[in-house]
Amino acid sequence: MTAAAGAAVAWRPPRSCEDYWSEWKHCKSLWNRFHHYYAFGTSLTCRQWKADYEACREWEKESSAEAKELLQQSERARVAEQNKFAPVWQLRQKPPDDWYLPLDHSKPQDS
Amino acid sequence: MEQSGEQQRSDEDYGYGLFPKRKEAKYKKGSVGESLFTFHNKCQLMLHFALETSPYAKFLLGVMKQSGCTAYQDRHFSCEDCDGTVSGGFDAATSQIVLCQNNVHRQSHMNRVVTHELIHAFDHCRAHVDWFNNLKHLACSEIRAANLSGDCSFGNELSRFNFGFKRHHQECVRDRALRSVLAVRKVTPEEAKKVVDEVFDSCFNDLAPFSRIPHSKNDVKFAFRDFQNRDRYYGNL
Repeated sequence: MTAAAGAAVAWRPPRSCEDYWSEWKHCKSLWNRFHHYYAFGTSLTCRQWKADYEACREWEKESSAEAKELLQQSERARVAEQNKFAPVWQLRQKPPDDWYLPLDHSKPQDS
Repeated sequence: MEQSGEQQRSDEDYGYGLFPKRKEAKYKKGSVGESLFTFHNKCQLMLHFALETSPYAKFLLGVMKQSGCTAYQDRHFSCEDCDGTVSGGFDAATSQIVLCQNNVHRQSHMNRVVTHELIHAFDHCRAHVDWFNNLKHLACSEIRAANLSGDCSFGNELSRFNFGFKRHHQECVRDRALRSVLAVRKVTPEEAKKVVDEVFDSCFNDLAPFSRIPHSKNDVKFAFRDFQNRDRYYGNL
């Protein structure tokens, strides 16, 4: 039996090109601009989504290394933006042990 | 900000005073002659409707299930009478969301309270949140819940006669987080404000499991899509 586990999975854009397109359209919408200003008090620039969409299409057509690099840089910047503040708490490795424990219906007050 | 270990305030009840039924042997069955339209029944119906139809609630439930914290209505939710004007709470000791049947009478309000409390439950599920001893953790979860549940939507703020616009969402989140902390902990307003300010940047920008502040059902759809796509996304960065 051949071991296929080590074979690299072919790279593809982090999001589908349709997703980049719909993110760009959503970003530009009046609703979104209104709520961005309501939340952040700044105007929104949506150019990056459009650039990502174009790079995605470029990748689909030509599989160009430049398009791949552009997309990776753009998405890494988005992730970095989300992670720029240190978290307040430590994440769990597994859910709380008592999440599913049954409630004690019979327990009276102060027992 | 002083933390645990030190002498705890002897009068601290961790907010349980607002939920008096939590301390009783409370699961008494209703009498046969009980009216069909009690607050309890209405609360259960509205809760069920929220869990089945609210995109925010469904998304949070789905993410929690994936993380190993499936929330069942009859185990993880409880409709009870509460004191004051509080609408709901999350009891970390029993992993239960409490809905205040005497204070929540509209479906839209129920949807929002369920979402708010599910965010606390989500935080409890995914992180070591020290609810009782770490005020920063409590404040952080309250900031996130106010930010992501729709509590501070433009429409809700208008209905409270708060007419701010530019960056008003953040002011609302700060204010509501402060009020929530003060409601359940015996600390001074100055202490509470200091803690909220300390953790605000980190917690306001922690949007998990949403990928953006959800201002509409459409935003929740985008967040759901991003969640489903997460393996592809992180695998191709």
